[in-house]
Amino acid sequence: MTDVEPTISIDARGISCPGPLTNLIKAYRKAKNGDVIEVLATDPGFKSDVKAWIERTGNELISVTEEGGVIRALIRVTAK
Amino acid sequence: MSKKVLVIGGGDGGTIFANRLMRKVPGEVEVEVIDKSDLHWYQPGFLFVAVGEADKEDITKQRRRLYREGIRFTQAEVTEIDLDDRRVKLANGEDRVYDYLVIATGSTLYYDEIPGFREAVNHMWTFDDAKKLFEELMRFKGGRLVVGVGGLTYKCPVAPLEIAFLADEFLRVRGVREETEIKYISPLERPYPPRLLSKVMVENMEERGIEPVTYFTVDEIDPERREVRSMEGDSLKYDLLILTPPHRGADVIIRSGIGDDEGWIPVDKYFLNIKGYDDAFSVGDATALPTPKTGVVAHFQASTVADNIAYEIKGESKRVMFDGQSFCLIEMGRGVASAQVSSYFYKDAPGLIPSRVLHLAKLAMNRIYWTCILSGNI
Repeated sequence: MTDVEPTISIDARGISCPGPLTNLIKAYRKAKNGDVIEVLATDPGFKSDVKAWIERTGNELISVTEEGGVIRALIRVTAK
Repeated sequence: MSKKVLVIGGGDGGTIFANRLMRKVPGEVEVEVIDKSDLHWYQPGFLFVAVGEADKEDITKQRRRLYREGIRFTQAEVTEIDLDDRRVKLANGEDRVYDYLVIATGSTLYYDEIPGFREAVNHMWTFDDAKKLFEELMRFKGGRLVVGVGGLTYKCPVAPLEIAFLADEFLRVRGVREETEIKYISPLERPYPPRLLSKVMVENMEERGIEPVTYFTVDEIDPERREVRSMEGDSLKYDLLILTPPHRGADVIIRSGIGDDEGWIPVDKYFLNIKGYDDAFSVGDATALPTPKTGVVAHFQASTVADNIAYEIKGESKRVMFDGQSFCLIEMGRGVASAQVSSYFYKDAPGLIPSRVLHLAKLAMNRIYWTCILSGNI
């Protein structure tokens, strides 16, 4: 768990690949540096996808957790 | 007393819905379809227009010729939809009220999301743009061709790959492929996201000399310097640029306040009623569902809604559910095509190995669309 509060939340539960990453990219386009994006997803591939996306874009991955089949990623926008 | 059913939008979804409902409960409904244009386009045909294999007469028909007897077609622009009052306003000052409403307003192109897009990009998401792209491909003397995904969301997930493969073939036939470098850009992790078919697509791209460039989210385009820049901080030079335009929902949806911030309509994923309403539905691209924005999805959704309204009118308790199903034939040039199936229930969408048979199926689909599909028979 983390106490960082998201400024943008995306509920991508039940959406298969590439839905969660697509929604993250769409939110990222509108986001500003300092925003914290929360993504909830159930697609098991999202865990590795979001890590690869962070590596590629240079933003900060605050945490990736999984509980009851729901993956929760918290991303701080730093690279815009 | 017959029920008044209003359909806004006469594309795949609206037409199939109207015809199927009229087939199921003739004499029990008054169906009116409203669209601002009298021309129905077979949009998958734009791909073939872009490489000179189809023209306007192959992919259009007059709308009023496509409806079953008893369906009224009105050519008009809808300016406002009031779901609470069950009322729709038209630009000519007329009003319509309804017992059931189906919104099938599709998606619109939204160039302004990406600076430089309108000036620099070629695409085939309208007939005129597809014709222009054909002329550009005919004129192209070799150089750097950048093709792929421009903005998210967009209609037909496989279309950018299809045009990449077809452009490769076209330039080979024209004898300028040797002098051409093709890069395929995508903001996602793979050039073709579903994992199972991705390997096949990447193998085919490698074989044809098309270089995938992933995690490239188009941020801006500089038409003067012929350069496309990404949010990830990269840039690519181009001599010809073919990208999917960003899409959003129809203006009337945004104006009427019934969509999300991009104008997509929130609907129940199984029954397709607009959330909070049991007499208003949406099908096809207009919905906010995480299904592909394609004609085949509109087809299955329209059938679901038509069947359920027919059951309700007949007083039957039976209902059918849309299961997210989609089936897509992927044209790959060189006389082969692949296919992709998906639904709510697949963790990863299966695909089929490219073959001549699937290419012939794609060509057959271009024909049976007008007869078997739009009629609402299947």
